[in-house]
Amino acid sequence: MSTSALAPPPETPSPPATSRRERRRRKRLEEQASTIPIELYGLRRGTVTAATVCCVLFALFTLVPIYWIVVNSTKTQANLFETFGFWFARPFVFFHNLSLLTQNVGGYGTYLQWLGNTALYAVLGGGGATALAAFAGYGFARFRFRGSRALFYLVIAALLVPITAITIPLYLTYAKAHLINSIWGMILPSLVSPVGVYLMRTYVEVSVPRELIDAARIDGAGEARIFFRVALPLMVPGVMTVLLLSVVLVWNNYFLPLVIFSKNNLYPLTVGIGLWAQRAQGSGNAQLFPMVVIGGLVTIVPLIILFLVLQRYWRGGLLLGSIAN
Amino acid sequence: MAAVSMEKLTKVYANGVRALDALDLEVGDGEFVVLVGPSGCGKTTALRMVAGLETITAGTLRFGGRVVNDVSPRHRDVAMVFQNYALYPHLSVRQNMGFALENKKVGRAEAERRIRSAAGILGLTGLLGRKPTQLSGGQRQRVAMGRAIVREPSVFCMDEPLSNLDAKLRVQMRGEVLRVHRSIGAATLYVTHDQTEAMTMGDRVAVLRAGRLQQYGTPRELYGTPANLFVASFIGSPAMNLYEAALEGSGEGTAVVLGSQRLTLPAAVLAGRPGLAGYRDRKVIAGIRPEDLAMPDGTAAVAEAGRGARPGGTGPGGTGPGRTGPGESRAGTTGARNAAGAAGGAEPVAYLRAVVRLIEPLGSEQLVHFAIDAPQVREDAGLRAGDQVAEGEIMAAQAANGVARLGAHTPVRPGETATFAVDATRLHFFDPDAGTAIT
Repeated sequence: MSTSALAPPPETPSPPATSRRERRRRKRLEEQASTIPIELYGLRRGTVTAATVCCVLFALFTLVPIYWIVVNSTKTQANLFETFGFWFARPFVFFHNLSLLTQNVGGYGTYLQWLGNTALYAVLGGGGATALAAFAGYGFARFRFRGSRALFYLVIAALLVPITAITIPLYLTYAKAHLINSIWGMILPSLVSPVGVYLMRTYVEVSVPRELIDAARIDGAGEARIFFRVALPLMVPGVMTVLLLSVVLVWNNYFLPLVIFSKNNLYPLTVGIGLWAQRAQGSGNAQLFPMVVIGGLVTIVPLIILFLVLQRYWRGGLLLGSIAN
Repeated sequence: MAAVSMEKLTKVYANGVRALDALDLEVGDGEFVVLVGPSGCGKTTALRMVAGLETITAGTLRFGGRVVNDVSPRHRDVAMVFQNYALYPHLSVRQNMGFALENKKVGRAEAERRIRSAAGILGLTGLLGRKPTQLSGGQRQRVAMGRAIVREPSVFCMDEPLSNLDAKLRVQMRGEVLRVHRSIGAATLYVTHDQTEAMTMGDRVAVLRAGRLQQYGTPRELYGTPANLFVASFIGSPAMNLYEAALEGSGEGTAVVLGSQRLTLPAAVLAGRPGLAGYRDRKVIAGIRPEDLAMPDGTAAVAEAGRGARPGGTGPGGTGPGRTGPGESRAGTTGARNAAGAAGGAEPVAYLRAVVRLIEPLGSEQLVHFAIDAPQVREDAGLRAGDQVAEGEIMAAQAANGVARLGAHTPVRPGETATFAVDATRLHFFDPDAGTAIT
């Protein structure tokens, strides 16, 4: 029996345990309380309407290609050229077009193979880039070592170099290293993400307090343990952002695989569909135009799904309760 | 063997800032030592060096005789409670407390036992499943302490753990911290900027300023015999009244001159402070605590000086539990002595006339701000005795330059001239150049 029989003094009760919906509702109310309603901005009449109209127009302008591709993926090749571009036309051949993707039309390569390649490069390249960016960002943000600042600037400076300028040297180096026509020729350069490092460093500085790491050190955790069990859970929103960016970058990368690959079965979707688009204009017998359109549509679907799935990680508030404010 | 021993501990940062300068300090087994001082004095730096979170530039740090300068924090057997709690936000209370035990590979059963025991001591048993977001400030602070306790370390480090709590909770938690300390019994190093906390909680208190140790002793020693001006004005609230003064005369007739008033110093005072002999006819700085100024009742005879001046009083600690502030017992003693008071003679009482400027009624007592025509010495403003008294000072002298702490029912009014009874043995004297106490 402990010697301290006295109960601790009563104090302000803790917030009751709540469901996720409750917490989200409360968070929304908090946000409302901390922002100023637009009516109080002191703007001239009509400013908000004008600004909204401009934004809507710009949004429409951005979304038009998406709309176009959705509508035109349902058309036959003839209809693509002959009917109004922004509305459907008979016959509705969406599913037929989809089935075309599974065939190797005219010997120009299979869509599914390319889809598989793209997924592989995206997972390994994008995922790897995210991991490296997370390690690097954590290192830059929370460790003091000589030359850290210079090294960080060097990483950022890499952004200044346009890919076209280093294409020839890249090709020659990779050829020497037997990385041409190898998946590693695509994945290794993708692992380098200066933007990712910069984002992670900034995010770690904001979301992983130094004191938490101090506390973990005192609690006897080694550095690796501290990173994976203490820092990483707090870095999740940042990591998910960098993951999405990296995956999208690799998925949409056209130039690098164009340089690296000359074998058809290694192409990612970008290069493959680009090949179709080229051939479509050339040869008349293959019905390649609808395939280009539907291919493009199917290409963006996984990215949209990824975006929707990762959205829930962009919830703030992970730090509440850790640090007294 | 001392639990923690700091020998000439120094910290110099890369930009040349000397955060800590040759600190010598020892914490005994089971002792509760408080490091106190204004911001930037190096107390947190010292604490972090003990915990292993800062490198040591020079000096030796020993835990129980073992030199730990280059030992990483995980091998030092020290636990820390942070000012901002630093709880792992994604882990529950139980997991927070168990994290260190996992790292040390303590078995599940043993870990569970320790967590339960600590939760019991701190009143957290019902909260083990919650996350830090779902706890109030006081509860989080207790979880932070629990996390330290389960490790059963040999040294506890606490970095201002109560400063993020509201005032009332802070006072309650002071008692909690001491209660936990008593039941655990490990050596504790506690950092705070609040001198009240330091005085009410510490077995011994170290006062630091600008990286240097000013004095290290029990609260009583710090209050009663401050080693220098800084300690004298830092400890005690309201701060000690300090004035430029001069000693006149010799032998029996020594007096301290405060402005236009002469306070005779009886032989007892001179005997107790042999160093004063060297300051005859020289400038000194004289200090008197607000608690040591009493109001003679009405205009009664000198003999009845001080009777009924003070109720049982609240020492410098306010309403806190824990130990009695050293001022409290003193007030009782002085009051009793004066009341028992014989017809003058044996009592070393001198009188100080002052103009009352402002009265702050606190309910249990009154803080009476007064003015005398002696120049005030303000340690915090950085004015050193010996500065020329400028025009501004004369103007300032029109306003209040002293505070007295009197009973709630003592009749005083602003604008009146009051006569305070001063117990001459309670006067403090300091060298005007060095600021050190004259003993």
